[in-house]
Amino acid sequence: MKVNEKAIKKSMVFGNNDLAISIQNLVKNYDDVKAINNLNLEIKTGELFSLLGPNGAGKTTTISILSGLLKPTQGNAFVGGYDILKELNSIKELIGVCPQEAAIFKFLTGKENLELFGYLNGMSKGKIKARIDYLLEMLEFEKDSKRKVKGYSGGMLRKLNILIALIHDPQIAFLDEPTVGMDPRARRKVWDFIRSLKEQNKTIILTTHYMEEAETLSDRVGIIDYGELIAIGTPKELVERFEVKNLEEVFLEITGRRIVEGI
Amino acid sequence: MNMLKILALVKTELRKILREPAFLFMMILFPAALTLVFGLTFGTMETGIPGVSQFDNMAPGLFAYACIFIIMIVAQTFTDYREQGLLKRINLTPTTSAEFMSSHIISNTILSIIQVAIVAVCSLLIGFRPYGTIIGFLLAFIFMILLSICSVGFGLICSTIAKNAGTATALSFIFILPQMFFGTFIPLNEATKVIAYFLPSYYATESLSLIFLDGVAITNLTIWFNLGIISILAIVIVVIGIALFKRYGK
Repeated sequence: MKVNEKAIKKSMVFGNNDLAISIQNLVKNYDDVKAINNLNLEIKTGELFSLLGPNGAGKTTTISILSGLLKPTQGNAFVGGYDILKELNSIKELIGVCPQEAAIFKFLTGKENLELFGYLNGMSKGKIKARIDYLLEMLEFEKDSKRKVKGYSGGMLRKLNILIALIHDPQIAFLDEPTVGMDPRARRKVWDFIRSLKEQNKTIILTTHYMEEAETLSDRVGIIDYGELIAIGTPKELVERFEVKNLEEVFLEITGRRIVEGI
Repeated sequence: MNMLKILALVKTELRKILREPAFLFMMILFPAALTLVFGLTFGTMETGIPGVSQFDNMAPGLFAYACIFIIMIVAQTFTDYREQGLLKRINLTPTTSAEFMSSHIISNTILSIIQVAIVAVCSLLIGFRPYGTIIGFLLAFIFMILLSICSVGFGLICSTIAKNAGTATALSFIFILPQMFFGTFIPLNEATKVIAYFLPSYYATESLSLIFLDGVAITNLTIWFNLGIISILAIVIVVIGIALFKRYGK
Protein backbone atom coordinates (compact mmCIF):
# COMPACT_ATOMS: atom_id res chain seq x y z
CA MET A 1 0.00 0.00 0.00
CA LYS A 2 2.90 2.28 0.87
CA VAL A 3 4.38 1.69 -2.57
CA ASN A 4 1.11 2.43 -4.33
CA GLU A 5 0.76 5.72 -2.50
CA LYS A 6 4.31 6.57 -3.50
CA ALA A 7 3.53 5.74 -7.12
CA ILE A 8 0.33 7.77 -7.15
CA LYS A 9 2.17 10.75 -5.71
CA LYS A 10 4.85 10.40 -8.34
CA SER A 11 2.27 10.23 -11.16
CA MET A 12 0.64 13.38 -9.91
CA VAL A 13 3.96 15.18 -10.03
CA PHE A 14 4.15 14.23 -13.69
CA GLY A 15 0.61 15.49 -14.18
CA ASN A 16 -0.60 12.14 -15.60
CA ASN A 17 -2.35 10.65 -12.63
CA ASP A 18 -4.28 8.15 -14.76
CA LEU A 19 -1.28 6.98 -16.76
CA ALA A 20 0.34 3.69 -15.82
CA ILE A 21 2.85 3.74 -18.67
CA SER A 22 4.18 6.50 -20.85
CA ILE A 23 6.66 5.68 -23.61
CA GLN A 24 8.39 8.61 -25.28
CA ASN A 25 10.39 8.36 -28.54
CA LEU A 26 11.81 5.00 -27.53
CA VAL A 27 14.56 3.52 -29.69
CA LYS A 28 16.46 0.27 -29.20
CA ASN A 29 19.18 -0.80 -31.61
CA TYR A 30 20.98 -4.13 -31.69
CA ASP A 31 24.05 -3.30 -33.80
CA ASP A 32 22.48 -2.31 -37.15
CA VAL A 33 19.03 -3.69 -36.38
CA LYS A 34 16.39 -1.30 -35.08
CA ALA A 35 14.34 -3.41 -32.68
CA ILE A 36 12.30 -0.42 -31.48
CA ASN A 37 11.95 2.57 -33.76
CA ASN A 38 10.73 5.78 -32.15
CA LEU A 39 7.90 4.21 -30.17
CA ASN A 40 5.40 6.49 -28.45
CA LEU A 41 2.62 4.99 -26.36
CA GLU A 42 0.49 5.77 -23.34
CA ILE A 43 -1.39 3.17 -21.29
CA LYS A 44 -3.93 4.19 -18.67
CA THR A 45 -4.16 2.81 -15.15
CA GLY A 46 -6.55 -0.15 -15.07
CA GLU A 47 -6.32 -0.67 -18.82
CA LEU A 48 -5.73 -4.02 -20.47
CA PHE A 49 -3.53 -3.23 -23.43
CA SER A 50 -2.48 -5.90 -25.92
CA LEU A 51 0.69 -5.49 -27.91
CA LEU A 52 0.45 -7.53 -31.09
CA GLY A 53 2.93 -8.11 -33.86
CA PRO A 54 4.76 -10.75 -35.87
CA ASN A 55 7.76 -12.60 -34.41
CA GLY A 56 10.66 -10.21 -33.93
CA ALA A 57 8.43 -7.12 -34.15
CA GLY A 58 9.76 -5.67 -30.88
CA LYS A 59 7.07 -6.68 -28.36
CA THR A 60 9.36 -8.51 -25.94
CA THR A 61 12.07 -5.85 -26.34
CA THR A 62 9.51 -3.20 -25.33
CA ILE A 63 8.54 -5.18 -22.22
CA SER A 64 12.20 -5.82 -21.39
CA ILE A 65 12.93 -2.07 -21.53
CA LEU A 66 9.88 -1.17 -19.43
CA SER A 67 10.83 -3.74 -16.79
CA GLY A 68 14.46 -2.67 -16.67
CA LEU A 69 16.07 -5.72 -18.24
CA LEU A 70 17.29 -3.68 -21.23
CA LYS A 71 18.42 -0.10 -21.54
CA PRO A 72 16.99 1.93 -24.43
CA THR A 73 19.33 3.38 -27.04
CA GLN A 74 17.32 6.61 -27.07
CA GLY A 75 14.14 8.00 -25.59
CA ASN A 76 12.58 7.31 -22.24
CA ALA A 77 9.59 5.72 -20.53
CA PHE A 78 7.75 6.09 -17.25
CA VAL A 79 6.16 3.19 -15.40
CA GLY A 80 3.78 4.17 -12.61
CA GLY A 81 5.26 7.65 -12.96
CA TYR A 82 8.79 6.40 -12.36
CA ASP A 83 11.61 7.02 -14.81
CA ILE A 84 12.99 3.72 -16.21
CA LEU A 85 16.45 5.26 -16.47
CA LYS A 86 16.65 6.58 -12.91
CA GLU A 87 14.07 4.90 -10.68
CA LEU A 88 14.22 1.23 -11.56
CA ASN A 89 14.06 0.03 -7.96
CA SER A 90 10.70 1.77 -7.42
CA ILE A 91 9.44 0.32 -10.71
CA LYS A 92 10.39 -3.22 -9.64
CA GLU A 93 8.13 -2.87 -6.60
CA LEU A 94 5.18 -1.99 -8.84
CA ILE A 95 5.46 -4.51 -11.64
CA GLY A 96 5.06 -8.23 -12.19
CA VAL A 97 6.55 -9.79 -15.30
CA CYS A 98 5.55 -13.10 -16.83
CA PRO A 99 8.37 -13.85 -19.30
CA GLN A 100 7.83 -15.66 -22.57
CA GLU A 101 10.06 -18.57 -21.49
CA ALA A 102 8.96 -20.08 -18.18
CA ALA A 103 11.90 -19.28 -15.89
CA ILE A 104 11.27 -21.48 -12.85
CA PHE A 105 13.41 -23.41 -10.37
CA LYS A 106 12.83 -26.97 -11.55
CA PHE A 107 14.07 -28.72 -8.41
CA LEU A 108 11.48 -26.90 -6.28
CA THR A 109 7.76 -27.59 -6.11
CA GLY A 110 5.34 -25.07 -7.58
CA LYS A 111 4.46 -23.82 -4.12
CA GLU A 112 8.11 -23.47 -3.10
CA ASN A 113 8.72 -21.38 -6.22
CA LEU A 114 5.82 -19.11 -5.28
CA GLU A 115 7.13 -18.78 -1.71
CA LEU A 116 10.63 -17.93 -2.93
CA PHE A 117 9.44 -15.21 -5.30
CA GLY A 118 7.11 -13.90 -2.62
CA TYR A 119 10.11 -13.35 -0.34
CA LEU A 120 12.18 -11.90 -3.21
CA ASN A 121 9.40 -9.37 -3.75
CA GLY A 122 9.65 -8.34 -0.11
CA MET A 123 6.46 -10.02 1.18
CA SER A 124 6.03 -11.33 4.73
CA LYS A 125 5.43 -15.04 5.49
CA GLY A 126 1.77 -14.47 6.39
CA LYS A 127 1.01 -12.47 3.25
CA ILE A 128 2.76 -15.04 1.07
CA LYS A 129 0.66 -17.87 2.46
CA ALA A 130 -2.63 -16.03 2.01
CA ARG A 131 -1.71 -14.93 -1.51
CA ILE A 132 -0.59 -18.42 -2.55
CA ASP A 133 -3.87 -19.93 -1.32
CA TYR A 134 -5.80 -17.34 -3.33
CA LEU A 135 -3.77 -17.74 -6.52
CA LEU A 136 -3.77 -21.53 -6.46
CA GLU A 137 -7.52 -21.58 -6.09
CA MET A 138 -8.01 -19.05 -8.88
CA LEU A 139 -6.09 -21.16 -11.40
CA GLU A 140 -7.12 -24.55 -9.92
CA PHE A 141 -3.50 -25.35 -9.24
CA GLU A 142 -3.56 -26.57 -5.60
CA LYS A 143 -2.82 -30.22 -6.34
CA ASP A 144 -0.10 -29.64 -8.93
CA SER A 145 1.62 -27.02 -6.80
CA LYS A 146 2.76 -29.72 -4.37
CA ARG A 147 4.73 -31.53 -7.08
CA LYS A 148 8.26 -30.77 -8.20
CA VAL A 149 8.33 -28.57 -11.31
CA LYS A 150 10.62 -31.07 -13.09
CA GLY A 151 7.59 -33.26 -13.83
CA TYR A 152 5.28 -30.48 -15.06
CA SER A 153 3.67 -30.39 -18.49
CA GLY A 154 4.08 -27.31 -20.70
CA GLY A 155 0.65 -26.02 -19.66
CA MET A 156 1.42 -26.40 -15.95
CA LEU A 157 4.70 -24.53 -16.39
CA ARG A 158 2.81 -21.71 -18.09
CA LYS A 159 0.30 -21.48 -15.25
CA LEU A 160 3.05 -21.36 -12.64
CA ASN A 161 4.92 -18.79 -14.74
CA ILE A 162 1.88 -16.49 -14.53
CA LEU A 163 1.37 -17.10 -10.81
CA ILE A 164 4.99 -16.25 -9.99
CA ALA A 165 4.62 -12.96 -11.88
CA LEU A 166 1.57 -12.07 -9.81
CA ILE A 167 2.55 -13.44 -6.40
CA HIS A 168 3.12 -9.96 -4.93
CA ASP A 169 -0.14 -8.55 -6.30
CA PRO A 170 1.57 -6.01 -8.59
CA GLN A 171 -0.19 -2.88 -9.81
CA ILE A 172 1.14 -3.34 -13.34
CA ALA A 173 1.51 -6.77 -14.96
CA PHE A 174 3.46 -7.55 -18.13
CA LEU A 175 2.26 -10.85 -19.54
CA ASP A 176 4.42 -11.93 -22.48
CA GLU A 177 2.53 -14.63 -24.41
CA PRO A 178 1.19 -16.16 -21.18
CA THR A 179 -1.07 -18.82 -22.70
CA VAL A 180 1.22 -20.35 -25.34
CA GLY A 181 1.00 -24.14 -25.19
CA MET A 182 -2.09 -24.25 -22.97
CA ASP A 183 -5.11 -26.36 -23.78
CA PRO A 184 -8.35 -24.43 -24.49
CA ARG A 185 -9.78 -25.10 -21.01
CA ALA A 186 -6.66 -23.87 -19.23
CA ARG A 187 -6.52 -20.87 -21.53
CA ARG A 188 -10.13 -19.91 -20.67
CA LYS A 189 -9.25 -20.24 -16.98
CA VAL A 190 -6.33 -17.85 -17.45
CA TRP A 191 -8.58 -15.43 -19.35
CA ASP A 192 -11.01 -15.42 -16.41
CA PHE A 193 -8.10 -14.78 -14.11
CA ILE A 194 -6.85 -11.88 -16.25
CA ARG A 195 -10.38 -10.43 -16.25
CA SER A 196 -10.42 -10.64 -12.45
CA LEU A 197 -7.18 -8.63 -12.35
CA LYS A 198 -8.79 -5.99 -14.50
CA GLU A 199 -11.71 -5.82 -12.09
CA GLN A 200 -9.15 -5.02 -9.37
CA ASN A 201 -8.03 -2.01 -11.48
CA LYS A 202 -4.68 -3.57 -12.33
CA THR A 203 -2.93 -2.41 -15.49
CA ILE A 204 -2.11 -5.31 -17.80
CA ILE A 205 0.15 -5.29 -20.81
CA LEU A 206 -0.37 -8.46 -22.77
CA THR A 207 1.49 -9.77 -25.79
CA THR A 208 -0.05 -12.65 -27.68
CA HIS A 209 -0.23 -14.35 -31.05
CA TYR A 210 -3.79 -15.45 -30.35
CA MET A 211 -5.97 -12.76 -31.90
CA GLU A 212 -9.09 -14.17 -30.25
CA GLU A 213 -7.38 -13.69 -26.87
CA ALA A 214 -6.53 -10.07 -27.64
CA GLU A 215 -9.99 -9.36 -29.03
CA THR A 216 -11.76 -10.91 -26.04
CA LEU A 217 -9.67 -9.39 -23.27
CA SER A 218 -8.29 -6.07 -24.42
CA ASP A 219 -9.53 -2.55 -23.89
CA ARG A 220 -7.11 -1.41 -26.56
CA VAL A 221 -4.74 -3.07 -28.96
CA GLY A 222 -1.48 -1.83 -30.45
CA ILE A 223 0.02 -3.52 -33.50
CA ILE A 224 3.78 -3.23 -33.72
CA ASP A 225 6.01 -4.23 -36.61
CA TYR A 226 9.71 -3.60 -37.22
CA GLY A 227 9.69 -1.76 -33.89
CA GLU A 228 7.09 0.78 -35.01
CA LEU A 229 3.56 1.16 -33.71
CA ILE A 230 1.51 0.90 -36.89
CA ALA A 231 -2.03 0.74 -35.53
CA ILE A 232 -3.72 1.44 -32.23
CA GLY A 233 -7.30 1.45 -30.98
CA THR A 234 -10.00 -0.70 -29.45
CA PRO A 235 -10.50 -4.03 -31.23
CA LYS A 236 -13.84 -2.73 -32.52
CA GLU A 237 -12.34 0.50 -33.83
CA LEU A 238 -9.60 -1.38 -35.68
CA VAL A 239 -12.05 -3.82 -37.25
CA GLU A 240 -14.22 -0.93 -38.45
CA ARG A 241 -11.26 1.14 -39.66
CA PHE A 242 -9.90 -1.66 -41.84
CA GLU A 243 -13.38 -2.87 -42.86
CA VAL A 244 -12.69 -6.49 -42.01
CA LYS A 245 -14.44 -9.15 -39.92
CA ASN A 246 -12.13 -9.52 -36.95
CA LEU A 247 -8.81 -8.59 -35.35
CA GLU A 248 -6.98 -11.44 -37.04
CA GLU A 249 -7.86 -9.97 -40.42
CA VAL A 250 -6.73 -6.54 -39.24
CA PHE A 251 -3.41 -8.05 -38.20
CA LEU A 252 -2.95 -9.89 -41.50
CA GLU A 253 -4.01 -6.85 -43.48
CA ILE A 254 -1.52 -4.51 -41.82
CA THR A 255 1.48 -6.75 -41.34
CA GLY A 256 0.94 -8.55 -44.69
CA ARG A 257 0.78 -5.25 -46.55
CA ARG A 258 4.06 -4.15 -44.99
CA ILE A 259 5.72 -7.38 -46.12
CA VAL A 260 4.43 -6.91 -49.67
CA GLU A 261 5.56 -3.27 -49.68
CA GLY A 262 8.94 -4.32 -48.32
CA ILE A 263 8.82 -1.96 -45.35
CA MET B 1 19.68 -5.97 3.23
CA ASN B 2 16.51 -8.01 3.68
CA MET B 3 17.37 -11.15 5.66
CA LEU B 4 14.14 -12.93 4.62
CA LYS B 5 15.19 -12.68 0.97
CA ILE B 6 18.70 -13.96 1.73
CA LEU B 7 17.36 -16.84 3.82
CA ALA B 8 14.87 -17.83 1.12
CA LEU B 9 17.67 -17.95 -1.47
CA VAL B 10 19.99 -19.90 0.87
CA LYS B 11 17.21 -22.41 1.51
CA THR B 12 16.69 -22.79 -2.25
CA GLU B 13 20.39 -23.50 -2.85
CA LEU B 14 20.50 -26.10 -0.09
CA ARG B 15 17.35 -27.75 -1.44
CA LYS B 16 19.03 -27.97 -4.86
CA ILE B 17 21.96 -29.93 -3.40
CA LEU B 18 19.65 -32.31 -1.57
CA ARG B 19 17.36 -32.88 -4.56
CA GLU B 20 19.80 -33.04 -7.48
CA PRO B 21 21.69 -36.37 -7.48
CA ALA B 22 24.66 -34.93 -9.40
CA PHE B 23 25.16 -32.12 -6.89
CA LEU B 24 24.59 -34.46 -3.97
CA PHE B 25 27.31 -36.75 -5.32
CA MET B 26 29.74 -33.91 -5.89
CA MET B 27 29.12 -32.33 -2.51
CA ILE B 28 28.81 -35.33 -0.20
CA LEU B 29 30.02 -38.56 -1.77
CA PHE B 30 33.00 -37.15 -3.67
CA PRO B 31 34.89 -35.72 -0.66
CA ALA B 32 34.11 -38.86 1.34
CA ALA B 33 35.33 -41.13 -1.48
CA LEU B 34 38.43 -39.01 -2.06
CA THR B 35 39.38 -39.10 1.63
CA LEU B 36 38.83 -42.85 1.84
CA VAL B 37 40.88 -43.51 -1.30
CA PHE B 38 43.77 -41.38 -0.03
CA GLY B 39 43.43 -42.83 3.45
CA LEU B 40 43.47 -46.45 2.34
CA THR B 41 46.37 -45.81 -0.09
CA PHE B 42 48.62 -43.65 2.07
CA GLY B 43 47.41 -44.48 5.59
CA THR B 44 49.97 -47.26 5.98
CA MET B 45 52.90 -45.48 4.32
CA GLU B 46 55.45 -44.27 6.85
CA THR B 47 57.03 -40.82 6.74
CA GLY B 48 60.04 -41.65 8.84
CA ILE B 49 58.48 -39.98 11.84
CA PRO B 50 57.14 -42.60 14.24
CA GLY B 51 53.34 -42.73 14.31
CA VAL B 52 52.92 -40.29 11.38
CA SER B 53 51.70 -41.71 8.06
CA GLN B 54 51.77 -40.10 4.63
CA PHE B 55 48.01 -39.66 4.96
CA ASP B 56 48.46 -37.57 8.10
CA ASN B 57 50.52 -35.14 6.03
CA MET B 58 47.88 -35.08 3.32
CA ALA B 59 44.83 -34.56 5.51
CA PRO B 60 45.08 -30.72 5.77
CA GLY B 61 45.26 -30.59 1.96
CA LEU B 62 42.13 -32.73 1.73
CA PHE B 63 40.25 -30.20 3.86
CA ALA B 64 41.32 -27.54 1.37
CA TYR B 65 40.22 -29.80 -1.53
CA ALA B 66 36.67 -29.80 -0.18
CA CYS B 67 36.59 -26.00 -0.25
CA ILE B 68 38.26 -25.77 -3.69
CA PHE B 69 35.55 -27.86 -5.37
CA ILE B 70 32.99 -25.17 -4.52
CA ILE B 71 34.37 -23.39 -7.63
CA MET B 72 32.74 -25.98 -9.88
CA ILE B 73 29.41 -25.85 -8.04
CA VAL B 74 29.22 -22.04 -8.24
CA ALA B 75 30.29 -21.94 -11.90
CA GLN B 76 27.69 -24.55 -12.87
CA THR B 77 24.93 -22.98 -10.78
CA PHE B 78 25.29 -19.48 -12.19
CA THR B 79 25.59 -20.55 -15.83
CA ASP B 80 22.66 -22.90 -15.36
CA TYR B 81 20.53 -20.16 -13.82
CA ARG B 82 21.50 -17.79 -16.60
CA GLU B 83 20.63 -20.35 -19.30
CA GLN B 84 17.24 -20.99 -17.69
CA GLY B 85 16.43 -17.27 -17.45
CA LEU B 86 16.36 -17.43 -13.64
CA LEU B 87 18.90 -14.65 -13.14
CA LYS B 88 16.77 -12.36 -15.31
CA ARG B 89 13.69 -13.32 -13.35
CA ILE B 90 15.35 -12.60 -10.02
CA ASN B 91 16.60 -9.34 -11.50
CA LEU B 92 12.96 -8.36 -12.14
CA THR B 93 12.26 -8.44 -8.39
CA PRO B 94 13.41 -5.74 -5.96
CA THR B 95 16.19 -8.08 -4.78
CA THR B 96 19.58 -6.34 -4.81
CA SER B 97 22.81 -7.81 -6.16
CA ALA B 98 24.25 -7.63 -2.63
CA GLU B 99 21.37 -9.77 -1.27
CA PHE B 100 21.71 -12.28 -4.10
CA MET B 101 25.50 -12.59 -3.85
CA SER B 102 25.38 -12.76 -0.04
CA SER B 103 22.97 -15.68 -0.25
CA HIS B 104 25.39 -17.57 -2.51
CA ILE B 105 28.36 -16.86 -0.27
CA ILE B 106 26.38 -18.08 2.75
CA SER B 107 24.95 -21.19 1.09
CA ASN B 108 28.31 -22.22 -0.38
CA THR B 109 30.07 -21.63 2.93
CA ILE B 110 27.49 -23.92 4.58
CA LEU B 111 28.19 -26.53 1.90
CA SER B 112 31.93 -26.21 2.51
CA ILE B 113 31.40 -26.71 6.22
CA ILE B 114 29.42 -29.87 5.50
CA GLN B 115 32.13 -31.10 3.14
CA VAL B 116 34.90 -30.34 5.60
CA ALA B 117 32.95 -32.18 8.29
CA ILE B 118 32.65 -35.21 6.00
CA VAL B 119 36.39 -35.14 5.25
CA ALA B 120 37.10 -34.74 8.98
CA VAL B 121 34.93 -37.71 9.98
CA CYS B 122 36.40 -39.93 7.25
CA SER B 123 39.95 -38.86 8.14
CA LEU B 124 39.41 -39.56 11.83
CA LEU B 125 37.95 -42.97 11.00
CA ILE B 126 41.04 -43.81 8.97
CA GLY B 127 43.31 -42.83 11.83
CA PHE B 128 44.16 -39.15 11.40
CA ARG B 129 44.84 -37.69 14.84
CA PRO B 130 45.35 -33.92 14.64
CA TYR B 131 47.00 -31.79 17.30
CA GLY B 132 45.40 -28.53 18.22
CA THR B 133 43.33 -26.74 20.76
CA ILE B 134 39.70 -25.61 20.47
CA ILE B 135 40.92 -22.16 19.42
CA GLY B 136 43.23 -23.77 16.90
CA PHE B 137 40.31 -25.69 15.40
CA LEU B 138 38.26 -22.50 15.27
CA LEU B 139 41.07 -20.75 13.45
CA ALA B 140 41.32 -23.67 11.01
CA PHE B 141 37.57 -23.33 10.48
CA ILE B 142 37.98 -19.63 9.62
CA PHE B 143 40.68 -20.51 7.07
CA MET B 144 38.31 -22.95 5.41
CA ILE B 145 35.49 -20.42 5.30
CA LEU B 146 37.82 -17.85 3.71
CA LEU B 147 39.01 -20.42 1.16
CA SER B 148 35.37 -21.18 0.33
CA ILE B 149 34.70 -17.47 -0.22
CA CYS B 150 37.67 -17.37 -2.62
CA SER B 151 36.11 -20.34 -4.42
CA VAL B 152 32.79 -18.50 -4.81
CA GLY B 153 34.70 -15.63 -6.45
CA PHE B 154 36.56 -17.99 -8.81
CA GLY B 155 33.24 -19.69 -9.64
CA LEU B 156 31.70 -16.36 -10.56
CA ILE B 157 34.65 -15.58 -12.85
CA CYS B 158 34.18 -18.96 -14.60
CA SER B 159 30.45 -18.42 -15.08
CA THR B 160 31.10 -14.95 -16.51
CA ILE B 161 33.30 -16.42 -19.24
CA ALA B 162 31.39 -19.67 -19.85
CA LYS B 163 28.41 -19.74 -22.18
CA ASN B 164 26.89 -22.90 -20.71
CA ALA B 165 27.16 -25.21 -17.72
CA GLY B 166 29.40 -27.71 -19.56
CA THR B 167 31.95 -25.04 -20.45
CA ALA B 168 31.72 -23.68 -16.91
CA THR B 169 32.73 -27.08 -15.51
CA ALA B 170 35.73 -27.28 -17.85
CA LEU B 171 36.75 -23.70 -17.09
CA SER B 172 36.51 -24.24 -13.36
CA PHE B 173 39.45 -26.64 -13.62
CA ILE B 174 41.65 -23.69 -14.59
CA PHE B 175 41.23 -22.57 -10.99
CA ILE B 176 40.86 -26.00 -9.37
CA LEU B 177 43.91 -27.83 -10.75
CA PRO B 178 46.64 -25.28 -9.88
CA GLN B 179 45.23 -25.03 -6.38
CA MET B 180 45.17 -28.83 -6.05
CA PHE B 181 48.68 -29.36 -7.37
CA PHE B 182 50.52 -26.28 -6.13
CA GLY B 183 48.47 -25.30 -3.12
CA THR B 184 47.88 -28.44 -1.09
CA PHE B 185 50.06 -31.43 -0.17
CA ILE B 186 52.06 -32.07 -3.33
CA PRO B 187 55.75 -31.18 -2.71
CA LEU B 188 56.79 -27.91 -4.37
CA ASN B 189 60.06 -26.94 -6.03
CA GLU B 190 61.33 -23.36 -6.27
CA ALA B 191 59.40 -22.61 -9.48
CA THR B 192 56.07 -24.06 -8.38
CA LYS B 193 56.40 -22.37 -5.01
CA VAL B 194 56.30 -18.99 -6.81
CA ILE B 195 52.98 -19.99 -8.37
CA ALA B 196 51.71 -21.25 -5.02
CA TYR B 197 52.20 -17.81 -3.44
CA PHE B 198 49.34 -16.54 -5.64
CA LEU B 199 46.95 -19.36 -4.64
CA PRO B 200 44.65 -19.05 -1.62
CA SER B 201 44.75 -22.81 -1.00
CA TYR B 202 48.50 -22.60 -0.30
CA TYR B 203 47.98 -20.27 2.67
CA ALA B 204 45.04 -22.31 3.98
CA THR B 205 46.85 -25.64 3.73
CA GLU B 206 50.07 -24.32 5.28
CA SER B 207 48.12 -22.95 8.24
CA LEU B 208 46.04 -26.12 8.65
CA SER B 209 49.25 -28.17 8.60
CA LEU B 210 50.79 -25.94 11.26
CA ILE B 211 47.69 -26.25 13.45
CA PHE B 212 46.87 -29.93 12.92
CA LEU B 213 50.28 -31.54 12.29
CA ASP B 214 52.76 -29.37 14.16
CA GLY B 215 50.37 -28.30 16.90
CA VAL B 216 51.78 -24.76 16.90
CA ALA B 217 50.32 -22.19 19.27
CA ILE B 218 47.81 -19.78 17.79
CA THR B 219 50.26 -16.98 18.49
CA ASN B 220 52.38 -18.31 15.62
CA LEU B 221 53.12 -15.39 13.29
CA THR B 222 52.94 -17.46 10.08
CA ILE B 223 49.32 -18.37 10.85
CA TRP B 224 48.32 -14.75 11.34
CA PHE B 225 50.27 -13.64 8.26
CA ASN B 226 48.49 -16.34 6.23
CA LEU B 227 45.14 -15.29 7.69
CA GLY B 228 45.78 -11.72 6.56
CA ILE B 229 46.80 -12.80 3.05
CA ILE B 230 43.87 -15.18 2.54
CA SER B 231 41.43 -12.55 3.87
CA ILE B 232 42.72 -10.01 1.34
CA LEU B 233 42.61 -12.62 -1.43
CA ALA B 234 39.01 -13.55 -0.50
CA ILE B 235 37.87 -9.91 -0.69
CA VAL B 236 39.76 -9.20 -3.93
CA ILE B 237 38.63 -12.39 -5.71
CA VAL B 238 34.97 -12.02 -4.67
CA VAL B 239 34.89 -8.33 -5.64
CA ILE B 240 36.46 -9.14 -9.03
CA GLY B 241 34.04 -12.07 -9.47
CA ILE B 242 30.97 -10.00 -8.63
CA ALA B 243 32.11 -7.04 -10.74
CA LEU B 244 32.83 -9.21 -13.79
CA PHE B 245 29.60 -11.16 -13.40
CA LYS B 246 27.50 -8.01 -13.03
CA ARG B 247 29.19 -6.38 -16.03
CA TYR B 248 29.43 -9.31 -18.46
CA GLY B 249 27.83 -12.38 -16.91
CA LYS B 250 24.15 -11.51 -16.78
